[in-house]
Amino acid sequence: MTGNIAQGIAIFASALGVGLIGYHAVEAVGRNPGASGKILVQSILALALAEGLGVLSLVLLH
Amino acid sequence: MPLVRTLLLLASILASGTAAFANEGGVSEKAESVFHVGPLPLTNSMLTSWGVTLILVFFIRWLVGKPQIVPARGQAVVEGLINGLRDLFEPIVGKKAMPAAFPLLICFFVFILLHNWSGLFPFVGTVGWKEMNQATGEQVGFIPWIRPLTSDLNGTIALALTSFVGWFVIVLRYAGPKALLFDLFGNKADKKEIPAALYWSLSVVFLGVGLIEVMSILIRPITLSVRLFGNIFGGENLLHNTSFIPIFYFLEILVGLVQSFVFTLLTSVYIGLICNHGDDHGEESEHSNPIEVKEAVPGAPSH
Repeated sequence: MTGNIAQGIAIFASALGVGLIGYHAVEAVGRNPGASGKILVQSILALALAEGLGVLSLVLLH
Repeated sequence: MPLVRTLLLLASILASGTAAFANEGGVSEKAESVFHVGPLPLTNSMLTSWGVTLILVFFIRWLVGKPQIVPARGQAVVEGLINGLRDLFEPIVGKKAMPAAFPLLICFFVFILLHNWSGLFPFVGTVGWKEMNQATGEQVGFIPWIRPLTSDLNGTIALALTSFVGWFVIVLRYAGPKALLFDLFGNKADKKEIPAALYWSLSVVFLGVGLIEVMSILIRPITLSVRLFGNIFGGENLLHNTSFIPIFYFLEILVGLVQSFVFTLLTSVYIGLICNHGDDHGEESEHSNPIEVKEAVPGAPSH
């Protein structure tokens, strides 16, 4: 089995970030269902930025 | 219920098509050339992108037909899409830059969405030419005919550069070079509130921040293109290498939608960061807060 520790750390951290964002987005919608549209946009943006780093590490450190 | 059943059946049939020829090696990272026209290679992702784009153009033209004041069914579908996206992007981009930015954004959204989903049809990546070793007659490789544009890094780089140039042109046009330079390097501190010496030393700090900002702007095409490529290419590999298709197929439908949305949203945020401050921002925040306005109205006569 071969691998790259930098990739592993990057994927782990970005997965953690994505999970945190999803958790808090769901919580926010639960508190204020009326704002779900705005929360969706914000959380998808943050998700993209967090997940982008993971994908970046996968593609560029390959 | 019958509709749901039909949709599920259709999706499972489509999904089974992708599984039929799932090969071991996965999808190759670069798009292979199918034909050569003179010295120019025509890669499979180029051919697919032209095909999908032609279908897209003619399908939308056919849907809308001749635009009427009372829309027919096809026109209503397209208008609904445009209205929904406009309501979504207008607060981000700002009213000022909206007329120029919106055609770019809606093009990106529909184009990337359909190109992402074009990788989910049956026969994508499974129909093609075998590459033979001339001496031994053994198969050494496989060149698929169809490959979605967004699973080719060249395609996503082209999209990201288009987004970058579009951002630059729109920002120069609707905010002007002065506002752009001020936003990057300018001193945003209030001159009246802090002492002059501190103000001028802060300018140096803001200059340094501006340099970092320029770096982060120049890196945007890279992150935009690699994000889209990584997601779609990873999805293609997932579908080709696992025999767990039905669930990943729905995941990929979702990822295709979300990634096209993300690309468009990020482009609009980049435009809005520079273009969307100043006069129309305050006006907008008043509109978006109806409760406060209502509360203020009964109090107003007593003042």
